[in-house]
Amino acid sequence: MNIHIVALAVSVAIFLFVIDLVRRRRLTFKYAVAWLLVSIGAIFFAIFYRLIFVCAALLGFELPSNFIFFVLFCVFILLSLLLTVFLCQQSNRNDVMAQKIALLEFELKELKKSKNT
Amino acid sequence: MNTSSKKILVIVPAFNECGNIGRTVKEIRSAGTGVDILVIDDGSLDETSQEARDAGGMVVSLPFNLGIGAAVQTGFQYARRYDYDVAVQIDGDGQHDSGYLGKIIAPILHDEADMVVGSRFLENIGGFRSSFSRRIGINFFVHLINMLTGVKVNDPTSGFRAYNKRMIALFSDYYPHDFPEPEAVVVAQQARARITEIAVVMRARSAGSSSIRYFKTLYYMAKVTLAILLHMIRQKGRDR
Repeated sequence: MNIHIVALAVSVAIFLFVIDLVRRRRLTFKYAVAWLLVSIGAIFFAIFYRLIFVCAALLGFELPSNFIFFVLFCVFILLSLLLTVFLCQQSNRNDVMAQKIALLEFELKELKKSKNT
Repeated sequence: MNTSSKKILVIVPAFNECGNIGRTVKEIRSAGTGVDILVIDDGSLDETSQEARDAGGMVVSLPFNLGIGAAVQTGFQYARRYDYDVAVQIDGDGQHDSGYLGKIIAPILHDEADMVVGSRFLENIGGFRSSFSRRIGINFFVHLINMLTGVKVNDPTSGFRAYNKRMIALFSDYYPHDFPEPEAVVVAQQARARITEIAVVMRARSAGSSSIRYFKTLYYMAKVTLAILLHMIRQKGRDR
């Protein structure tokens, strides 16, 4: 029985941690959504843990723990893919800005030069 | 060479090309009168930009190293902003002979092509023609691009190219970033560009080292192939 209490406590802690990060503006809503959903899911399964056994049996997992690992693995792959997408977006924007800055800097220098002569 | 009516920009991407870039810029200046030379200093740590400026080139300095593709793209963006008719890309390491400048822009000036690639392998006119292993790699891309697009470009990794206004606009919006030359051919072909090649002689590098090292040839091939294949499945107009 203890294991369920531990599981529930950990999932609630993660949920509260995410909420706190949003509250302190360390995490914007856009990025918090995925983590909130994951922690709510964790709380749900910590409460209705019998569902895990049912799902595991239905899908043909011999051990419920294997089912848990499998689900966790999928969730993390998805989350890291999402992170890579965000990263790509940031990196593209970085490049675009670097190019714009370089061109503006060049124009500014030319402008100053022509003003001085 | 009659260039009086057209605005021509020579884009020279350079990353740590101290010792090469000054000579390259001077060479271009003596080869093409009336052309503007824009050196894109791709976040060099040495005196590349000062050397280029002293040699009489305009220098745009990127705040950090973005890679050759983004550097060249910056040149296209400049060309578009200042309404250039022709853009020529010449590598900053001095391996391209700017004596061919007139020859490479001729098809653009006569409106016979949208994009001209300076090719080492078109005619047997000598010069530096790359190591054996790299020529196998280059040949692989010739066939890959030919298979995917139906266009035959004999030297798809050549960074000695000329473009017209339409290509300038296209590439300032999207230009492949990492090892862009072969992929740019595919991008151009998909935009239904008229691509021609002219024969040029290239030199071996005199100072510094090429961004593609010998033992990295295979890695380069795999990466560019993957990039080209990924490009083929990309949705159009969704770059940013």
